[in-house]
Amino acid sequence: MTTFLQIITNGLMLGGLFAIVAIGLTLIFGIVKVVNFAHGEFLMVGMFLTWMITTRMGLHPFASVILVVPAMFVLGALTQRLLIQPLMGAEDDHVQIFATVGLSTALMNLALLTYGADIANTPTFGLRAPIELGPVRILTGQLYIFLAAIALVIALQLFLKNSQTGRAIRAVAQHRVAAELMGVNVPRIYILSFGLGAACVGLAAVLIAPLYPTSSNIGTYFVLTAFVVVVLGGLGSIPGAFFGAMVIGIVDSAAGYYIGSGLREAVVFGLFLVILILRPSGLFGKRMTLSHLS
Amino acid sequence: MTIKTYLTGTALALALASPALAEVKFGSLYPISGPLALLGEESARGLEIAVDEINAAGGLQGEQIVLERGDAVDNNQATGEARRLISFVGVKGIFGSYSSARAIAASQVSELAGVPYFELGAVADEVTGRGLEYLFRTNPTAAHMGADSITLLVDSIAPGLGKSPEELTLGIIYEDSSYGTSVAGHQETHAKEAGLNVAVKAHYAANSVDMSSIVLSLREAGVDVVLQTSYQNDSVLFLQQANEAGYEPLAIIGGGGGYSMQPTADAVGHDVIDGVFDVDFTQFAVNTEATPGLEEFITAYEEKYGTAPRSGHSLANYVGAKVILEAIAAGEGFEPDQIVAAMQAVDVPQGATAAGYGVKFGENNQNERATMMGMQWQDGRLVTIFPEDAAVAEIRFNN
Repeated sequence: MTTFLQIITNGLMLGGLFAIVAIGLTLIFGIVKVVNFAHGEFLMVGMFLTWMITTRMGLHPFASVILVVPAMFVLGALTQRLLIQPLMGAEDDHVQIFATVGLSTALMNLALLTYGADIANTPTFGLRAPIELGPVRILTGQLYIFLAAIALVIALQLFLKNSQTGRAIRAVAQHRVAAELMGVNVPRIYILSFGLGAACVGLAAVLIAPLYPTSSNIGTYFVLTAFVVVVLGGLGSIPGAFFGAMVIGIVDSAAGYYIGSGLREAVVFGLFLVILILRPSGLFGKRMTLSHLS
Repeated sequence: MTIKTYLTGTALALALASPALAEVKFGSLYPISGPLALLGEESARGLEIAVDEINAAGGLQGEQIVLERGDAVDNNQATGEARRLISFVGVKGIFGSYSSARAIAASQVSELAGVPYFELGAVADEVTGRGLEYLFRTNPTAAHMGADSITLLVDSIAPGLGKSPEELTLGIIYEDSSYGTSVAGHQETHAKEAGLNVAVKAHYAANSVDMSSIVLSLREAGVDVVLQTSYQNDSVLFLQQANEAGYEPLAIIGGGGGYSMQPTADAVGHDVIDGVFDVDFTQFAVNTEATPGLEEFITAYEEKYGTAPRSGHSLANYVGAKVILEAIAAGEGFEPDQIVAAMQAVDVPQGATAAGYGVKFGENNQNERATMMGMQWQDGRLVTIFPEDAAVAEIRFNN
């Protein structure tokens, strides 16, 4: 029983990790309608920034959030303004996807050139210390990630529902042309949304950096699962991404123990396919409308 | 990139083609950019130091060795660069390659062209397992890593723990590429021969972000000794998650890669990694009576590159290259068949090189005298503890 509880807890914590990475991705997809293949590299950049600020200035890694999140916002906004926006007029939307693939490779190799192939260790400041909750053990850092993911989902929902800008963002997401006719500055909303998505992954980077060694290819460790989570939850749905991440986390953890660590990916992706066949638009996805064609 | 390398290579070849000194060209084929660059470059440095020494001592049969670099950044480029070195530069042989996959790709080209290929660092079984005629490997392999980790366990660790090998429950975990799979396969075979009880054998993707379920499986199965074959991130992850789950096996024996590197110890924490064993190429904290020439190598390295060697890769490459070049110097000439004859005559006894092992090419041109050494992390340093004549510290047990 203890083992079972520990497996479920491990799964939830893993789910929190996947969720915090995936939220920015689903936000960008839901609004800008661009699949950002450089998402993992945004995470990597954020983790290197956290590492530099923490080691150079001797700060607690969480303190670097005040620099990393704005920096990542700027990186995201610039990506939209300088890379995606000029390609919005292209005949085929897929050009933007390939542009983000290019950006991903460029960022990875830039990091390799700057930091080398070795790992960079962000000091943990006790975040890897286990705490006991009844019969189970979790890491302090994992618990913070889990709580931060919940807080981020709620904050984003409130922002999108209640603020003037949030309403404009949702209007653009629903129908680009109609929103433009209502006087919404669509290019500005896109830049803002891309920046927000990147800022979310910046927050994820700050929380993850003390727990995982940073390297130029760390993004590739997370990005595939992030895509699965986003599709499973329903593309563009923020609560969907959270619950999708929980499902993947628990299945991954349980399959790794009960079925075998070599088969965990087969189980996770097999389940992913089954859910998609039964619910093509994901767990929380709305039925397909024509809005994505706008 | 490729064109630039090509042009630079051409310019270099023209510039170096001065008729004053007789020269003989060899290829140096390593990944020196891209994700494998760090240890690829480290490996290439070992070769360069060996060449410097041979040149300073008069060269090969009166001719100075000139190394022509190739960058094996991926498998395609490895074959492309091998082709360039052979047909355009006209090298008499190629030294490489750190990565097994690059070595396997590039040596197909050299074998077809009938040019000798000297592998100094790649460990996969298939490098020599394909029965190539012109490929020679000096370094220990996955088979050695598997066998030597079990020998270390049976001969040193089990007696130190006060247990007979049959009493120990073993868990073998490994990353699922051909590297981890082949080492783990050898470990299982040797463990069964030694009468050990293998309770868990589990593989995982090297880019996993969570190994807690493996840790739980090992703990539930009552595993006393964990053998892990891994890269860096997964070594760090396993050691951390085992520690955090409160899982304390009697011994952890790592294989190569991440376990030999200082940043791994720094990432995991020196108190957590303390006592962990490692089986790998000869490292630098070793008894130099068993490794004659090691101190001179370190001095030469520091003079040339301004830092201490970053891993044992440079040493393994240096040792292999030096033995091969000395054999060619003592041979008849530089034609492929003359070089092959020179290789077959190589007979360096155990304990005569700076890596400790001897060199004699046996079946499939694999160095049958190559061995790995056993190390242990003690107080934040990786020290050699096995075999006894190479040891610089006593094995420590935490129990």
